[in-house]
Amino acid sequence: MSTPQALPRVALTWLLVAQALAILPHFLHVPLWLAGFWLACVTWRVQAFRMKVGYPGPTAKIALVAVAAAGAYVSRGTLIGLDGGVVLLIAAFILKMVEMRSRRDGLVLVFLGFFVVVTSYLFDDSIATALYSLLPVTALLAALIGLQQSPGAVVRPQATLRLAGQLLLQALPLMLLLFVFFPRMEPLWSLPVPDKKGITGLSDNMSPGDVAELSQSTELVFRARFEGPLPPRRDLYWRALTLEHYDGRRWSQGYAAQGYGAPPAWRRQGNPLRYSVVMQPTAKPWLFGLDVAETDRDDVRQMSDFRLQRRRPVDRALLYQVTSWPQAPREVNAAPQGMRRALQLPSAGNPRTRAWAEDLRARYPATPDLVKAVLAHFRQEPYVYTLHPGEGGADDIDQFLFETRRGFCAHYAGAMAFVLRVAGIPARVVAGYQGGEPNAAGNYIQVRQFDAHAWVEYWQPDTGWVSADPTFQVSPERIEQGLEEALAKEGTFLEDSPLSPLRYRNLGWLNELRMTWDNLNYGWQRWVLGYQGEQQLAFLQRWFGAVDGRVFALSLVGGVGLAFAVVALFLFKPWVRLRDPQQRAFRDFEILLARQGLRRHPGEGPRDFARRAAAALPRQAAAIDAFAHLFEAQRYAGEPAASQALRDALKAVRRALPWRPGVSSS
Amino acid sequence: MLKARFAPYWNRWLARRLPTAPQVTLNQRRIFIVPTRVGAAFGVALVLMLLAAINYQSSLAYGLTFLLLAVFLVTILHTYRNLATLVLKAGGGNAVFVGEHARFQVRLESGGRAHQAIALGWPPEPLEIYDVPANGAWECRLGQAAVRRGWLRPGRMRVETRFPLGILVAWSWVDLDLAALVYPRPLPGELPLVPAAGDEEEGNRAIGRGADDYQGLKPYQPGDSKRRLHWKAYSRGQGLLVKDFAALGGRELWLDYESLSGDMEMRVSLLCHWVLALSERSQAFGLTLPGLHLGPDEGEAHRDACLRALALFGVAR
Repeated sequence: MSTPQALPRVALTWLLVAQALAILPHFLHVPLWLAGFWLACVTWRVQAFRMKVGYPGPTAKIALVAVAAAGAYVSRGTLIGLDGGVVLLIAAFILKMVEMRSRRDGLVLVFLGFFVVVTSYLFDDSIATALYSLLPVTALLAALIGLQQSPGAVVRPQATLRLAGQLLLQALPLMLLLFVFFPRMEPLWSLPVPDKKGITGLSDNMSPGDVAELSQSTELVFRARFEGPLPPRRDLYWRALTLEHYDGRRWSQGYAAQGYGAPPAWRRQGNPLRYSVVMQPTAKPWLFGLDVAETDRDDVRQMSDFRLQRRRPVDRALLYQVTSWPQAPREVNAAPQGMRRALQLPSAGNPRTRAWAEDLRARYPATPDLVKAVLAHFRQEPYVYTLHPGEGGADDIDQFLFETRRGFCAHYAGAMAFVLRVAGIPARVVAGYQGGEPNAAGNYIQVRQFDAHAWVEYWQPDTGWVSADPTFQVSPERIEQGLEEALAKEGTFLEDSPLSPLRYRNLGWLNELRMTWDNLNYGWQRWVLGYQGEQQLAFLQRWFGAVDGRVFALSLVGGVGLAFAVVALFLFKPWVRLRDPQQRAFRDFEILLARQGLRRHPGEGPRDFARRAAAALPRQAAAIDAFAHLFEAQRYAGEPAASQALRDALKAVRRALPWRPGVSSS
Repeated sequence: MLKARFAPYWNRWLARRLPTAPQVTLNQRRIFIVPTRVGAAFGVALVLMLLAAINYQSSLAYGLTFLLLAVFLVTILHTYRNLATLVLKAGGGNAVFVGEHARFQVRLESGGRAHQAIALGWPPEPLEIYDVPANGAWECRLGQAAVRRGWLRPGRMRVETRFPLGILVAWSWVDLDLAALVYPRPLPGELPLVPAAGDEEEGNRAIGRGADDYQGLKPYQPGDSKRRLHWKAYSRGQGLLVKDFAALGGRELWLDYESLSGDMEMRVSLLCHWVLALSERSQAFGLTLPGLHLGPDEGEAHRDACLRALALFGVAR
């Protein structure tokens, strides 16, 4: 290995294929100029291989690196962080291909390729990505094999690929064992995460139109699997966060709620609901749960407004177990003055609504009566539940309540909280999701962005916080059946995405297909992506009982050893005597003649033995000679070994010999 | 340095474990296997990937790391298998003169499987790489520079393979008992020819004239030995001329070591030259070395016997 060895053609072929396969999924998030850069570099490399152009000299290399770095900087604004880093990594991967001349360069390229594949997992971890990544990995292994093949060997690329595939297949059981048993650790240090700017979802402030916009998206938010039967749909109010501050236009999270205040007072009461949630990355720290929710995770806390919040934003799929106590009273004994935040209002605006609220207060001194009156108002007056409420003006609540009377859940919730606050009742808007689509195949429900919802909760002494949903008064279908039914008359459900399979839920087979696919994805998230920490421990405990570290290590080592042994047995097949086929044929020949009483003397060569045998058996001499001649030719004269011809000659000897049992039985 | 210190122990251990034999089948007793430098780099890459998997809590990154680790483990078997059951058989080594390259024949026979990228040789010289087809064989000719006369024994040969991934190397040290005879380097020069006993006068005359003398040049005729072509004359444009040696017809000549002066190597080289020259002219001659008389005779067999005696004269074993 002292002198740089030239690159075999097979290796170059597979390196080019592997590079294309490895880079392809990255084009979903890297700037597009990389594609052009890659094509140019590949063309250069192929032409260099065909000796049409030279390899880049030192100046050209420096120029190429400068172009790549400048491109990464211009398109990403930085070279630090994951997004800039990945662009640089891919650029290095491409550039190394151009300057690659020796086997050593080829090896560097293969290793870079593995890193490029790993980084693609950080941007997308779906089943499709995982399965797809087997292609570049196989091609990279094929390239690695090609780099080792002898220079003179004429090998077809397919043979190399087949060997790479065999290696991967044989490695699979070992890999599964390692995956199941290898102890998972907490992150050692925090790393930059993929930029999730493009994620749609709830934000910590809301104008009435925001939720309507969200309801155009079919993107999955989370899936929840219940132990026991699914609760009725109308009870599924998934709290994400509360919006306490109103500035006359938008509702937003209050400052106090953002901090880590003391956990709120509540009492477990009634029957709990237990379920597990697998949520998609949101890049936000809050989790989803039914009131009042507790989780098993150490890094998740219940905040002062009963929402669940994680220490770090959820930047990849997250699995957590929840116990909810729907009947639990919340902050029953809180001091009324502590509720000042829930009474905050802008100093002016919406005069008609304020007048109406004060009028209501005068008519209904008891809080429950007043709330009932407000809800009755929504039910009895001709309100319309619509995705297209029209533009709101300066006093948009006035406009909504007394003129247009058209709105989406956020309009109703916002207006009602405003009215209650004017009437002196502490109230706030809760943002989250409502309902979800049950998946019969998997006994879980899927909640999508269009299930986004906003409702109201108000507080009264001795009762605590109570939820109320004005939308239910206007459009009970929304709550009991879902958005699609609520918008059936209007026909605006997913109007921007005519091809979404969710629009064709009435087509039986299509819906079944969609459900099965979703179930598969759910299993993937639960069992593969979510196989971390507690999930691993729970799984191992279920199968192996209480697990301590030693048993863990022993079963890992033992399992790997066993799998290794199985592969070894498969590869070596010790039950098959690996003997030279020529020698095997000759031994059979000896056995045949021994039956005739002719044994080879020690040290007697094949030719002498055959001559003696031919003399003793003159009638079979031709066949014996033919065999001996062929054997000698193959064995000693270096003729290409055709074991079939030898076996045919042996068969001729066997046919020629008379069968004389009893003469010899060796 | 450490390596040099332990070399004797290592060699003794090897000699016990892998004794000399004309035919060797590689098996688990004979094959060693360790990761290569590339394998170490592969390991470092795996550690980096594992760190990424831990820090990003990415199951897929864990999966790929474990898959490649498993590939590494499985490759141990594949690399070993690529060498196991391979049969190495010693062929002859041709005789050469000092300064030439001796070629040793080694026959690689497959025990059923194909063996790819098998490297053979004597480090520190670079190894030669061969492929052995399934159920087939491959004749290798391995060169080794002949620097001293006598038996050239290249010693333990390294046979190794890094196939399929290059991350592991399986190797063995095989002593096939290969040997090639190295003749002295022929050295042209004056030589006292000692005629057969009883013909002293003629002998003296021969010494006086010098056997190197030739009678003159005569035009080349088909059938004349090409070795006797006078190239210098040809290069001067005098046409093809052949050196016509004085015929010492029929007389038996003795090449005598004792009658020469100089050190042993020089004398042996001179004798070697004359053995070749006289054989070329089909002249019968005898060779006298201390304690050894060959001939007088002529012909190839005699020549080879003389060369062999010269090659081994004064050499241990």
